[in-house]
Amino acid sequence: MGNEQEDKEMEMGSIVVEKVGGRSSVVHCFSRYPVKFIIPKKVGSSRTDAVWVYALNYGGGIVSGDQILCKFSVGDCCTMVLTTQGSTKVYKSVGSKCSKQLLEARVGSNALLAIIPDPVTCFSTARYYQKQVFNVSSNSNLVIVDWITSGRHESGEKWDFDLYRSINNIFLEDGEPLFLDTMSLEKEKIGCIHELVQDYQVIAMILLLGPKLQFVQNLVQDKVKGIMSEQLQHPSGALSHKRNEAGYFISKPSLMASCSVFGTKIAVILNLDGTAMISNYNIILWASSRVEIIELALSSCLLRTIVF
Amino acid sequence: MQISEGCDNGPRLADSIAQWSQWQLLDSLLPTGGFAHSFGLEAAVQSNLVSNPDELKTFIIHVLENTGSLLLPFVHLASVSPKLETWHNLDKILDATLTNEVSRKASISQGSALMRVGSAVFSELPSLKAMRNASLGSGTISFHHAPIFGLICGTLGLDSTDSQRAYMYITMRDVISAATRLNLIGPLGAAVLQHQLAPNAEAILEKWKNRDVDDACQVAPLLDTVQGCHGYLFSRLFSS
Repeated sequence: MGNEQEDKEMEMGSIVVEKVGGRSSVVHCFSRYPVKFIIPKKVGSSRTDAVWVYALNYGGGIVSGDQILCKFSVGDCCTMVLTTQGSTKVYKSVGSKCSKQLLEARVGSNALLAIIPDPVTCFSTARYYQKQVFNVSSNSNLVIVDWITSGRHESGEKWDFDLYRSINNIFLEDGEPLFLDTMSLEKEKIGCIHELVQDYQVIAMILLLGPKLQFVQNLVQDKVKGIMSEQLQHPSGALSHKRNEAGYFISKPSLMASCSVFGTKIAVILNLDGTAMISNYNIILWASSRVEIIELALSSCLLRTIVF
Repeated sequence: MQISEGCDNGPRLADSIAQWSQWQLLDSLLPTGGFAHSFGLEAAVQSNLVSNPDELKTFIIHVLENTGSLLLPFVHLASVSPKLETWHNLDKILDATLTNEVSRKASISQGSALMRVGSAVFSELPSLKAMRNASLGSGTISFHHAPIFGLICGTLGLDSTDSQRAYMYITMRDVISAATRLNLIGPLGAAVLQHQLAPNAEAILEKWKNRDVDDACQVAPLLDTVQGCHGYLFSRLFSS
């Protein structure tokens, strides 16, 4: 009971997408301060059937103590894309307050929900908690990009926040858990976060679920395997001061990526750690006869579009 | 030799005998196939993330930290309630939680081996064999390592804290063993390192023990990614 009350207070936005006249349409849209939704009419090709939603926070970021809940429902056979206009800045924590951003989404049968925001950037001492819960059918499709940068470089902040916790949970119709992932970076508990992440400045997770994304999944797996196999080299024996013959220090790969299959072989997760804020790696993927192009450019604040 | 309740030394003898079983569970001699897994160390070496003794030490601490934050809840809950239903529930949740394919397969492989060995070796505990047989038939149980380890510890009479400490112990044991086989450290150096890291492991245990599975989390994203890279290694000694 108490939870319902809390939910009502925290609910800052909700959108329902259903088929109207054969096309994915927003049949319900609600938002209140500090959340605002922008739903442009003309995004991408007119052939494609997708609703694009840009979520903005007034003030350009998440302020200490903000508690935001947004709910989305994507009806059967519909497509919805949720993205942002810029990186989500989490400002410094005041009085040790933690900011929370919650997302609950229901994805119908044969529907597609793509959550492709810009990365989160936590300022020094920020405390941020994010939880995304998805309820899906057995043939739902889901693209989730969840990523974080190390902070404001120009101010010299690298992994200088106090808490970042990101939860992504996916449940099937019967409530069975399909995917339960929590990443927690907490200064108090693990000490120097920088040590755990070393020189990498970006941590990203990309999740691809569903039959519509099969082709993309295969491409991602092959691409990552190709990139990483090249980067990994045969070790030269016992530990020593690692210099090669020319006397140069052997460096670590600038991109560390691994791709896992989970569930009953219908989903793929891509974990990435990149050193450069502006990375040179583009993963360009082609999928299906409808010419779906997913181009993920891992640069500081840029996430390219999904075009259907 | 029968241990009957009518015997004077009953409880003490039972405790002593139990200790033999507990030590055997932690002994690397037990054929559970732990030696096949490097916890991402082999991939870390090949990608130059670990290239000197200090980096090895740091790596091991990160493995222990992530074990604490992600897996101890499963050991804990299985050890306090070593029953079929609890085990099955934990197994299902862990299968959804181990999102890294390499780690997930390693967990299943080690868990299956441990359950097979445990039910054969600790034959005076018929419940283990019965649970194993019931679960093999169902086809929906993955046999993940951490819940099974907790289950066996609980069945052998270890309390929850000791069970979790034991899990940290065998994890450290196996990573260090992998380090020697990868020629990163010699056998004596490995033993010294293992002893040096005991206080670190204990501190990590204190931090992460007795938590619920809802709180299970990854704290070392780089480690998780590196572990997932094992499949891309051209030549490898270990299966994970």
